[in-house]
Amino acid sequence: MTTKLMGEKVQRVEDQRFLRGKGRYVDDVAVGPATLHAAVLRSPHAHARIVDIDVSEVLDVEGVHAVWTYDDLADLSAPMAEPLPLLIPHPDLTHGRTQYALAKDEVNYVGEAIAFVVADDRYLAEDAVSRIKVDYELLPAVVGVEAARRAEHLVHEDVPGNVGARMEQSTGDVEAAIAAAPHRLSLDLTVERSACTPLEGRGTVARWDPDVGRLQVWSSTQTSTGVRAAIAVKLGLDLAQVDVITPDVGGGFGVKINHPWPEELLVPLAARALGRPVKFTEDRREHFISSAHERGQVHHVEVGFDDDGRLLGLDVMFWHDHGAYTPYGLIVPIITSTQLLGPYKPAVYRARFESLYTNTVMVTPYRGAGRPQGCYVMERTMDAIAAELGKDRTEVRAVNFIQPDEFPFDQGLVFQDGRELEYDSGDYPALLQKAKDLIGWDEFPAFREEMAAEGRRVGIGLACYVEGTGVGPYEGAHVHIETSGKVKVATGLTTQGQGHATVFAQLVADELGVRFEDVEVVTGDTRRMPYAVGTFASRAAVMSGSAIHLAAKRAKEKVLRIAAEALEADEEDLEIVDGVVSVKGSPGSSIDLGTVAVLSNPLRYAFDEASQAATQFSVGDPGKPPVAEDDEPGLEGRDFYSPERATFAAGIHAVIVETDPETAEITILKYAVVHDCGTLINPMIVEGQIHGGVAQGVAGALYERMAYDESGQLQNASFMDFLMPYVTEVPDGIDIDHLETPSPLNPLGIKGAGEAGVIPSAAVFAAAIEDAEGIPIRSMPISPSELFHLREAHR
Amino acid sequence: MKISGTNTIPYPVAQVWDALLDPAVLVRTIPGCERLETTGEHTYAMTVTAGVAAIRGTYDGTCALSDLVEHKSLVMRLQGAGAPGTIDATVHVSFAETDGGTTISYDADAVVGGMVGGVGQRMLTSVSKRMAQEFFDNVAAAIGGPAPAAAPAAETPAGAAGPVYTAPPRAAAGGVSSDFLTGVAVGAGLVLLGVIAGRWSRRR
Repeated sequence: MTTKLMGEKVQRVEDQRFLRGKGRYVDDVAVGPATLHAAVLRSPHAHARIVDIDVSEVLDVEGVHAVWTYDDLADLSAPMAEPLPLLIPHPDLTHGRTQYALAKDEVNYVGEAIAFVVADDRYLAEDAVSRIKVDYELLPAVVGVEAARRAEHLVHEDVPGNVGARMEQSTGDVEAAIAAAPHRLSLDLTVERSACTPLEGRGTVARWDPDVGRLQVWSSTQTSTGVRAAIAVKLGLDLAQVDVITPDVGGGFGVKINHPWPEELLVPLAARALGRPVKFTEDRREHFISSAHERGQVHHVEVGFDDDGRLLGLDVMFWHDHGAYTPYGLIVPIITSTQLLGPYKPAVYRARFESLYTNTVMVTPYRGAGRPQGCYVMERTMDAIAAELGKDRTEVRAVNFIQPDEFPFDQGLVFQDGRELEYDSGDYPALLQKAKDLIGWDEFPAFREEMAAEGRRVGIGLACYVEGTGVGPYEGAHVHIETSGKVKVATGLTTQGQGHATVFAQLVADELGVRFEDVEVVTGDTRRMPYAVGTFASRAAVMSGSAIHLAAKRAKEKVLRIAAEALEADEEDLEIVDGVVSVKGSPGSSIDLGTVAVLSNPLRYAFDEASQAATQFSVGDPGKPPVAEDDEPGLEGRDFYSPERATFAAGIHAVIVETDPETAEITILKYAVVHDCGTLINPMIVEGQIHGGVAQGVAGALYERMAYDESGQLQNASFMDFLMPYVTEVPDGIDIDHLETPSPLNPLGIKGAGEAGVIPSAAVFAAAIEDAEGIPIRSMPISPSELFHLREAHR
Repeated sequence: MKISGTNTIPYPVAQVWDALLDPAVLVRTIPGCERLETTGEHTYAMTVTAGVAAIRGTYDGTCALSDLVEHKSLVMRLQGAGAPGTIDATVHVSFAETDGGTTISYDADAVVGGMVGGVGQRMLTSVSKRMAQEFFDNVAAAIGGPAPAAAPAAETPAGAAGPVYTAPPRAAAGGVSSDFLTGVAVGAGLVLLGVIAGRWSRRR
């Protein structure tokens, strides 16, 4: 009997390759002298009019093949002269703006693409870029939420007040509810900008085949099908002429869901125009200033509550800094405004936001995607309520929890996918108990005293979150059993380190009864699965996992039908173990999957011994067509999974920190995570996701920020100055406990896990530092020097 | 970026003032300056080579002196751009007679853009100050020393708006002109330049 792999800590099949340097990334594609290399001239100014671009010193340089500015685009392909797509329109995004592939007349952030050079190699391309002379007329830069709100200067002349969108959602008369509440508080809470900073930046390679009129593109993206559609439209090609392949990706974390980047269009355009493969590989500084950031928001909270801390009215207004353009619409602030609620059920809730333009890099979702800010706002509010009432922080949370018997629970709002914010399942009181046990909540006062006796200062914090995962619209899968008995699986969404080749193979091995090592998974290749959405919102396991499960089921049905006929047995009596179909109880009567695959495809010609069995004089009922009317040749299953709405994972993080009384250095003593992502496919991979998320969360809470100066220059655009933590800054050992509350929305009961680790970080560190110091923490991230100055201010 | 500082030149204000308004002096005292062209009264176009470590390159810029109050103060507006970045600065410079010398105070408000702004920012203030020191030392040497043997001859090539000054081949200025120093300041050199040169105003 094959052991079920669902829930097993199966070793990642990817790691042999990655750890031995055999990973194959975009930059590893199309190496050789035939490939040309692109470099981009980027704006050094945050806001300027382009008066003139002089490329005359580049045109005749030997080895330079193309120098393009905006004025060249229309001739190359008319749609290229239009702005880049606004990917997710929304009725409240009344003033959405997107950039051009190459700046037209104006630049709105340092790093915006102005000119594109293609040369024999990158050195030459960059030297050529440096010879282009641009005459700018400088305009005043708008930097930060405050400047955007003041609107003394405008980012876009035709966007009054710098307001791209205003949105409001509410479940009742919140002002009346707060006015009537026995207790009231207000808080102002800030989160600064940060960014995904994957180790591999953006990159695109394109090859045009003039013989067949086809374009082949490799891109480091989170959506191959999205890139494919965009390229087809912008280059005036039929979809069928474009293949997009996503090879190994060295991290995405959200930034690579945005598409098409200017280079994702310019590289294929150049490949077609020049008839040579063209490559663009982003460098680190380019990634800082010309990809995307997130997180920057300022919030104001008004809350009314009863004597137990029960939320009677919660009113949140916030300002979202979306940078210079809005290609990704309002997804991030919508997520903040809805997911802010976490596991709680305020009697009345209102969320309002303004999404504001600034002369900085644009915003796209970054792991957590607005949830870290929402969680921070909600959990800071919970802590403030507990402090106001003199209650234990966990008690205040517990009285506000949605109870296990209240699911499905409709929050009365519209979520980021345009569907109701309806939680499918969960058990928040059980999570809280586990979290308290794991961190030692009840024992902490004694520990604090012990430490204080040694002159040491410690604090504890805890933060709860709910994460809508696995949003639609759909994903699909194709499962193909070859005549060798090996199983080839394709799903269209992409992979950037999650271990899809492992977990998806586990699902197929379980459903089909084949050996794990006989299953090969391909992701993000539009040739193999042209219908897909992408990898974001912790959706791969839920969406593609479910689709793969369903597709494997279909393949299995066909296996059993053909095998039953061949074995002259009833389908009900068959079982598949290790790739062999046999009649239960009579092991002698069996057929292997490879043979079933042979039989599934009636042949005229034999090409090996196995295929002889399927030729026309060997099989088939002469009285029937070789392929029945409702059947098709081959042993394949294809299916799609499209849920009504997202499934909601949940969790709680807790941390004990120590703050140095002299230097204000912040040290993590203990970090605990309890997590409920429904049924676990592979606990080791889920824990890996949590580890990575916590590391990134620590980074965002204590180290990383985007240091823009008032003129819009990003002053820390390198790993010298942008403090990405080392392993030494990440908790040494993270205590993890799981709860498995299956989702009723998909066949496997799974919920997403990819982003959870990073969501409560700002909230939990703010809580613990506040607890240690007795000073309200209202702005994150926080550095030792900021804590030091806070102490001075509160002395 | 705001940079301010003071330097003392051991010569009377009148001499220092004249030196700082003399393009032939400027071209050989501004660290990294290769070429200075007079484009109008107290306005110059110039070429400066500078760099911070790997971020090195040649900048073309303009500077203009204004609000001249003789022997007291001036304002310099400066704009420069090169492959590694851009500099736009306004520098207020004041002069005071002290013990037979001249104390020069400068107050620069600079926007440093491009690669240098993002990567070298941390070092710019200190490097700028050291380059200012180098510059004023050079000015002092120029006032006190004999005219250089290979004095840059002012010439007016066809097509140039005014006289063009080129720097003589320069030996490392005593002690301070390590690669680090001359190298660094994309912004720094120019801000420094700022001290002498000009004030840039945003065209809004």
